[in-house]
Amino acid sequence: MKFRHFVKTIPMKLYIIVAAVLLFAFFSNDFGLVDIQKTAVILAAGIDRSGEDFRLTAQLAVPKGSDRTTGGTSSVEIKTEGKTVSDCITQIFTDTGWVPKLVFCNLIVLGEEAAKEDTISYLNYFLRNEYMPDSCLLAVCEGTAEKLITSQSAIDDASSLAIAKLFSDAAEKSGYVMPNTLKDFAIGYYGVSKSSYLPYLRTMPQDGAQTPSSGTQPSPQEEEQQKIYTAKHTALFSEGRMTALLSPEETLAFSLLKGKVSAGTFNAEAEGKPVTLTLLEDEGKISLQKDPTKAKLSVSVMVRFCCSGTTAPIEEISSDEVTKETLKSAEEVLKGYLSSMWEKATEGGCDLLGLRKSLYRSSLKKYAEYKNMLPHAVTPQIEVNVASMK
Amino acid sequence: MKLSRRQIYLFLACVAPIGKLVVLPTELVREAKNDLLLPVAIHFLVQAAVIFCVLLLGRRERGLYEILEGTFGRVFAKICMVTLSLFLLLAGLVPLIEQQLFVQGVFYDTLPSVIAYAPFFVFAAYLASKPLAHMGRVWDILAPLFAVGLLGILLLSVGSADYAALLPIGASGTGFLKSTLSASVWFFDAPLLLLLLGKFEYREGMAWKGALCYLGGGLAVLFFLATFYGIFEETAINQIFAFSKTAKYFSGITVLGRIDYIFVYALALVLAFYTVLPAQCAIDGVVQAFGSPRHLQTILSAGIFLGYFVLSLVFDYSFFALLKFMTKALVYLFPVFATLIPALLLTLGRQP
Repeated sequence: MKFRHFVKTIPMKLYIIVAAVLLFAFFSNDFGLVDIQKTAVILAAGIDRSGEDFRLTAQLAVPKGSDRTTGGTSSVEIKTEGKTVSDCITQIFTDTGWVPKLVFCNLIVLGEEAAKEDTISYLNYFLRNEYMPDSCLLAVCEGTAEKLITSQSAIDDASSLAIAKLFSDAAEKSGYVMPNTLKDFAIGYYGVSKSSYLPYLRTMPQDGAQTPSSGTQPSPQEEEQQKIYTAKHTALFSEGRMTALLSPEETLAFSLLKGKVSAGTFNAEAEGKPVTLTLLEDEGKISLQKDPTKAKLSVSVMVRFCCSGTTAPIEEISSDEVTKETLKSAEEVLKGYLSSMWEKATEGGCDLLGLRKSLYRSSLKKYAEYKNMLPHAVTPQIEVNVASMK
Repeated sequence: MKLSRRQIYLFLACVAPIGKLVVLPTELVREAKNDLLLPVAIHFLVQAAVIFCVLLLGRRERGLYEILEGTFGRVFAKICMVTLSLFLLLAGLVPLIEQQLFVQGVFYDTLPSVIAYAPFFVFAAYLASKPLAHMGRVWDILAPLFAVGLLGILLLSVGSADYAALLPIGASGTGFLKSTLSASVWFFDAPLLLLLLGKFEYREGMAWKGALCYLGGGLAVLFFLATFYGIFEETAINQIFAFSKTAKYFSGITVLGRIDYIFVYALALVLAFYTVLPAQCAIDGVVQAFGSPRHLQTILSAGIFLGYFVLSLVFDYSFFALLKFMTKALVYLFPVFATLIPALLLTLGRQP
């Protein structure tokens, strides 16, 4: 009886075993193993042009145990050159024996010269790659990407990790950094606006940066001056080519229009003296009028008094309220930033504010009529409303 | 053993839609662009109407073969059943290879060996050797998995979507018509239901309730497609395996890791059972036509999935060639078998 019952239940048992094997295969994900001795875990990639060829600088995470293990992440930079980016990536394998793994790549930096050519001609490799996260941050840098990636950061072991810190949510809320991802850059490029933007990285020598502890001989790399990075400028792109560069103030204006600022500061004037105001709330709006050659850019912000360069009685210090005169000055300042940003974008042929996209979405007929006139033939009406926290 | 009405509803609302969430969204964008909702809405409406008709056929409490035999005679009924089974085997090929590529592409950081996916065929052969009416309990389990999986993915995705990207409606011109035709390859739910005839007890109102359940599932798919296009806009054409892609931009993921994979795995599990279903129905069709000689179902099941395994090896690197062949050359079979024939059965089969 028992044996018969056992035989009868064999199919069910088999079913469970097979289902378990299937689930195991489905869920195993290669058991999540990354053999660091065989795999080049790429943290960041820098791309430069070298004539017709591409030069790729990959920053790889390496196992600890080398002489560069003072911090949290050890890294090494590999430089390769090839006809395409794919060529360069393959060379990492042929040159080092490490299989390149892009799944952890969170930063792609384009050298300035490379950014002035059609960027999609080399970014398409990353768009095609199924294993590459398209939420990866994208940036342009002053000079070459190689120099930036190989530079010694004063605040982190790996330059890419130090740079990624610049693009945090907190930094974005300050209004002085406009991060962008591979996905959003591609949407801008392939969309009707054919325009996008990327943060523009600069390196600055850090005076007084920590030098290796005494008693050890500094390596040539350590002897190199350590750097800090800024991304306050924003590079504008039209049809995949970098065509203009926004200053930090213009970047703030762009951030305000996008409505992303909630913690930044900017300077205005009170009684002819500079004062700093903190941005608490921001609402930006871009709208095309019925006549698509007219656009309205409006920004409403709430501010509070941050500080002034003058001595003040304690009653004044205890108050966050901003005087009407200062508010007016702030409005003028922001209007100036917005106006300057608009001019730079239109001069660069960059539909930064997505006017073509707005028109396309609202009326195909008008889009067909006006698409070639946007944005350069558009007259902006700029409205700024600065209110004080009560 | 009979299927309950609840199980039929759950199949229509929560299992049938899963096949439309893998490669179809990307394929829709190819021609229909931002009008990708239109072809799917058309298909869901048409299939819901056909499902209404098929469920009405259920009033006769007879299997498909019996209905055909009563109308056309034994030989023609057998030919019909074998033809329908062959169609289902053909229709089941695309979801099967879709799933294989999905598992290899999404669950692995590098291309895994074929062996990693091979156990699925053993599982599928075993599942398909079981009577179709036993699937009801499976659907009872899969339905909440689908609901939780899709809801979870949508909740994590909606914040990243710009739904205005779907505007202007009609921008693709006639593109959505081409897309409607090619999308037929993914809509063969009514013929699956045909094979379930006689395996459930019809009750008043079941036809419209079933059609409504199917439309409910369709609405969920449409909302997902809108979210998918809202996130990827013009680059949506490059985003194969849609339901694993949309939730990864949720801001919490940078801190918590890919928590969306919990929901992706839930849907993948539903998909695993869904991809077996066409073959399972095809086998049931043959068994209905030829009775059930000893081990016929097991032999058929083993043979079919061995064949599918070989085809999966062949098409592993040429899935898009297969898809092109299906959506260009064989696509015309789908409106005939998935719409016309099931709808006509209601009018032709009026035999005692």
